Amino acid sequence: MGQSLDLFAAASAEGAWTVGEVTRRARAVIEAGLPPLWVRGEITGFKAWRSGHWYFSLRDKSAQLRCVMFAKQNYMQPTPVDGMQVFVFARPSVYEEKGDFQLTVMELLSTDQGGLWKLAFEKAKAALTKDGLLDPARKRRLPPFPRRIAVVTSPDGAALRDIQAVVGRRWPVAELIIVPAQVQGAKAEASVCSALNRIGRLSVDIVVVARGGGSVEDLWAFNSERVARAVAAMPMPVISAIGHETDVTLCDLVADVRAPTPSAAAEAATPDRAEVMAQCVVLGQRLARALRIASRHVVERLDRTGDRLYRRMDHRLEQSRALLTAHSARLDALSPLRVLGRGYAVARDADGKVLKRVAQLPTGKEFHLRVSDGEVHGRVQ
Amino acid sequence: MAEFSKQLERLEAIVRRLETEEVDLDEALKLFEEGVERLRVAREQLAQAELKVKKVLEIESPS
Repeated sequence: MGQSLDLFAAASAEGAWTVGEVTRRARAVIEAGLPPLWVRGEITGFKAWRSGHWYFSLRDKSAQLRCVMFAKQNYMQPTPVDGMQVFVFARPSVYEEKGDFQLTVMELLSTDQGGLWKLAFEKAKAALTKDGLLDPARKRRLPPFPRRIAVVTSPDGAALRDIQAVVGRRWPVAELIIVPAQVQGAKAEASVCSALNRIGRLSVDIVVVARGGGSVEDLWAFNSERVARAVAAMPMPVISAIGHETDVTLCDLVADVRAPTPSAAAEAATPDRAEVMAQCVVLGQRLARALRIASRHVVERLDRTGDRLYRRMDHRLEQSRALLTAHSARLDALSPLRVLGRGYAVARDADGKVLKRVAQLPTGKEFHLRVSDGEVHGRVQ
Repeated sequence: MAEFSKQLERLEAIVRRLETEEVDLDEALKLFEEGVERLRVAREQLAQAELKVKKVLEIESPS
């Protein structure tokens, strides 16, 4: 008993530390002695709070460590689950209010199946597959000559500049409608969805969703199920150009066409003006040739009529037939418009019907006379 | 201005009709004249040099 008293007396009240002093000191010692570091362990007791902060422990066979990952660090992270092996990059510290030794996690990577990203990606992909949104039969063909092309991208990114340059060079016939969206960061998912939503109400032929390359984290919005569903719901074809060739996002999978770069997306969306111009030239040539063929049909009919006449009439008619054939041959060689050039004229009524017989031209009848360089109006007197 | 693809489609239809059917001369002339006009409009549209760019702003979005 005396011993206890001695001990108690030895512990001078003046020398005692307060709880706050100890925890503050412990925190300072730990923060000074343990700089931010990578820690490997298994997640246990995971809990996501309404505030967005995550609380969990990391453990191995012999020990546990309490961890917190704040919302501002985890917003782009797929949610981990208990039992998952992870690496965290964290700052060891003491949470003074509870006296807990804990890690403030800044980054979290899973070692399972290529990481948490992969896990969340596969989960969303499975959901989309179940709803048939990845069915190749859903893919729509792009219109060959788009009038209006909408682009969802960052208004000041390289992706927009590239797209604008390519469309301007290949198909300036179109109108480019820029729908600005945040393509990375916490708000990207909502921003891209809202942009797509707005386009749904516009009269647009093709939508291009684009952003330049980036890390898996940067592209995360385009791996969200919500964005993928918004793309699938678009009433017009969508071209997706997200990231680079190696990273296929859910947005790419759902889109009607996937392009490796924003420039490639713009090429896929547009025909080449020079090629279309050449196509027009060919059509013009076919049109002229077709008219010559059509006029030949008329000549052939005349020929057949001539044959019948010949069989029944005397040789005076034979002369006529020779004449007719000669005319036919000449008509054959010339298009009707050239005939006009040689001084002939075609008379037509107000409906454009060709007036070929006297009976069609009673006195007072109004008609249009097509001559080589235009038309005149007249009336039969 | 009519849509470019409509111009081209109609033009192709005219050419095909003239090529494959026996058409009266007056009908052929009418088709030819329409074809020439469509071709002129299509080429005018192609000749447009400047890409029109419009930006849809956030505020335009009814929530």
